[in-house]
Amino acid sequence: MVDTCDPTAETSRTMAEKMIGTGLKDIVRGEGRQMGNAKFVVSNLSTRKLGHFDVAVEGVSFSVRAGEILGIAGVAGNGQNALLDALSGEVEAHAATAIVLDGQPLGQLGTTARRKHGLCAVPEERNGHAAVGDFSLAENTILTARDRMSMVVMGLINSGAARTYTGKVITEFAVKALGPASLAGSLSGGNLQKYIMGREILQRPSVLVVSQPTWGVDAGAAAAIHQALVDLAAEGSAIVVISQDLDELLVLCDTMAVINSGRLSASKPVGTVTVDEIGLLMGGVHGDKTAEGAHAVPA
Amino acid sequence: MSPDLLIGLIITLVGASTPILLAALGELVAEKSGVLNLGVEGMMLVGAVICFAVTYNTGNPWLGIVAAALASTAVAMIFAVLTLGLSANQVATGLALTIFGTGFSALFGRAYTGKPLALFKSIFPDWLATHPVLKVLFGYSPLVYFSFAMVALVWWFLAKTRGGLILRAVGESDISAHSMGYSVIGVRYGAVAFGGAMAGIAGSCFPLMLTPQWVEGLTAGRGWIALALVVFGAWRPIRLLGGAYLFGLVMTIELYAKAGGGVAHVLPSQFWAALPYLATILVLVLISLRQSSNTSAPACLGKPFLPTN
Amino acid sequence: MQFRLEKRQEPSRFMLYATPVAAVVLTMVLGAIIFSLIGFDGLGAVREIFLTPLINPLKWQDLAVKASPLIIIAVGLSIGYRANVWNIGAEGQYIVGGLAGTGVALATWEMTGWWLLPLMIIAGIAGGMAYAAVPALLRVKFKVNEILTTLMLTYVSVQLLNYLVLGPWINPTGYGQAQTRLFNADQTLPYIIPGTIVQLGTPIALLVALVAWVLMSKSMFGFQIRVVGLAPHAARYGGFSEGKTIWLALLVGGGLAGLAGVLEVAGPFGRMVPSFPTNYGFTAIIVAFLGRLNPLGIVVAGIVLAITFVGGQVAQTTIGLPFPAVGLFQAMMLFLLLAGDILVRYRLRRVVPLAVAEDVA
Repeated sequence: MVDTCDPTAETSRTMAEKMIGTGLKDIVRGEGRQMGNAKFVVSNLSTRKLGHFDVAVEGVSFSVRAGEILGIAGVAGNGQNALLDALSGEVEAHAATAIVLDGQPLGQLGTTARRKHGLCAVPEERNGHAAVGDFSLAENTILTARDRMSMVVMGLINSGAARTYTGKVITEFAVKALGPASLAGSLSGGNLQKYIMGREILQRPSVLVVSQPTWGVDAGAAAAIHQALVDLAAEGSAIVVISQDLDELLVLCDTMAVINSGRLSASKPVGTVTVDEIGLLMGGVHGDKTAEGAHAVPA
Repeated sequence: MSPDLLIGLIITLVGASTPILLAALGELVAEKSGVLNLGVEGMMLVGAVICFAVTYNTGNPWLGIVAAALASTAVAMIFAVLTLGLSANQVATGLALTIFGTGFSALFGRAYTGKPLALFKSIFPDWLATHPVLKVLFGYSPLVYFSFAMVALVWWFLAKTRGGLILRAVGESDISAHSMGYSVIGVRYGAVAFGGAMAGIAGSCFPLMLTPQWVEGLTAGRGWIALALVVFGAWRPIRLLGGAYLFGLVMTIELYAKAGGGVAHVLPSQFWAALPYLATILVLVLISLRQSSNTSAPACLGKPFLPTN
Repeated sequence: MQFRLEKRQEPSRFMLYATPVAAVVLTMVLGAIIFSLIGFDGLGAVREIFLTPLINPLKWQDLAVKASPLIIIAVGLSIGYRANVWNIGAEGQYIVGGLAGTGVALATWEMTGWWLLPLMIIAGIAGGMAYAAVPALLRVKFKVNEILTTLMLTYVSVQLLNYLVLGPWINPTGYGQAQTRLFNADQTLPYIIPGTIVQLGTPIALLVALVAWVLMSKSMFGFQIRVVGLAPHAARYGGFSEGKTIWLALLVGGGLAGLAGVLEVAGPFGRMVPSFPTNYGFTAIIVAFLGRLNPLGIVVAGIVLAITFVGGQVAQTTIGLPFPAVGLFQAMMLFLLLAGDILVRYRLRRVVPLAVAEDVA
């Protein structure tokens, strides 16, 4: 199919529609979605610098209600990876109470225990971090879904259960793969991302933290991922989306905060912030009062 | 300590340090280009047996050294073709090289077991080389002076020349070097070949300077110590020199203890024989304590280079 | 004609298992040629080394005896290699395992009872584990490369062996010969097939391989080992500690090498002697790779390497081929196997200019 158009006369949305050949579905925002009480509370979370070029997070605090999607904007390399590692459990917090889910302190638990409590996370790097390229999709499912989806019995792997769940992810997220036995490394970047997002979302976590959920994914798949996140929130989960794509965050999120040099601004409802305001925060200008509030604990 | 004993000690020390210094210099260059060749011990053994055979049959140690360097380079090329040409696992291939060298030297050394070889003496006039004091400076085999020259040469090459810069670039960031138009694989072939030649010359130190008759497995793990030495020297030639003489000192103590000097009898001779290896472990621990998370190892060390196009 | 390597979408399972076979066959062909060229009876060498032990049923029991320790050690090493833990000092762990078993035997040599042998075996495993714990500790705590430490400790263990058999453990009635006293009947392995030299070590080796196969392919233990080896970052994300995995890999490797050691000293040797180190620990590295780091493959590879050992002894007596030639054959086999590895991940395509390339792999 070939189509021609005048790029200046098209919006990015209509261009995307032309490229994927169908109309983009609008994300059905959970209108009238009930925001519950604060479900996921992070207070004064700090990490240590791991390497010379590493950016740590300092005194990060935020809270997400049930049904809420919090967006964390920021220019790449401002501590997003450290924040994700600290939230997922790859790096433990200094205090157990730094991360609280439904009143349960999770700060000093590892990733496995946090998943059992309902906190799942998706890091930015797909191949080698969120998935093992040399493993089949079914094995990659065991990597993070083994406990919540009962794939291990007395130390032995129930590979039937892993295959079934993987098949479900492939179908529901329209992953282009030959089947659960396909190697993760043989998938295209976008399809691997769909698989990874599906693997976490279908576990129905109470809290899902994702970094760059639609990085490198085509517009149609991005819309599907966004919809799945909105649906998960509508079921009462709390969601944190870390992204460098402002448009994505503005479409998807209920509240937003900005990370800069490892510090997080106060979060604000999406309707009340202007793009200019966010842009200034991303650039590290903390002139206004709301941003000052984020630095309750100076370094 | 009497002056005579001190001079004897220094001469033994230099003898023990020279082969590990030579082998480690070669490995340093290979590792700087990003290649981890664990086959040093095997290449040294090949060099040792070839050197012995050629020197024994021609009577010319110079020919022996050249033949040893060539033979070990050829063996290193097996490693290079496998790891660079076919991206085989470097650790496994290096081990295979050592197994090969051990078998090779045992097979071809059998004919020479127990046969004597004249030591490769100093090239200085006798009155200097055997002078009771001046022999400390002039009494060594040419291999010793060669090892010092190579320290300077490797330092100069890596630090001061364009070729050295390219070699380091290939070891630190193969992808950038590749995109700048340098042949990553070509540079690594060269570095591995140099490592092979130096290991061969290091191997020839054994028949020419240290054990003037053929003994199976005469390198006794010195190739592995050379590998540790590269880590100890933090991939810098000058530090490598210091490290080699430190290790040499431990081995010298072992030799004196075996000869039954003074306090050595307090502990069994096997303890002294194990000492260089224990010292190596200790030194590796000390280095890791001193170095922070910022390691000085080349960034691409041991990783295969696979250009996408 | 030009060839080009093209990355396969997925590694070829066929090549994974075909390349080791091809490596063995090519070793025989190339070996015959090379050994002929350097003045040996090349064809005779290949025949005696690779075929005689297989054809002659009298040699089968020798194969079982040689293959058992190789299989036990290689299974342990393969678990480590899968986790990217390069324990190359199995020889040392084997020696210390043998020494630990000997220690128990010497302490109990006037006693009898069925429990003596199990106690020695436990001591042997513990000895091998303890010796591998040193590099594990150094690697996890101080980030010291385990390749060098495991190897250095092998040289140390040889000295420890020499010290013990020459000193405190020397046979008091042995006229100063460097060896311990003979173990008593309850301290030696029973023969399991009457009239042969096949001892309990052989079924133990098969059992070890079978258990390891189940663990590696079906259990979370195996999953953890593999994920840490393939993608340490993903392993951390999946909740697997790299440090713990390194400990596990080295303890299992050391424990199995120790087991092989005590089975050897309580089996074929019957006492500790200075010639106890027989390079099983190093040969097992070849076995592990030839068996594709798969416990069942290792059983086959262990038998192949045992054939070369037994055949090497045959060739020594029949055609006068020096025994070290076996080492060259073994190294050649490993070289060819590593060279063939590329065919697992890449396919060879013939590049025909301006025409359709056709698959030749």
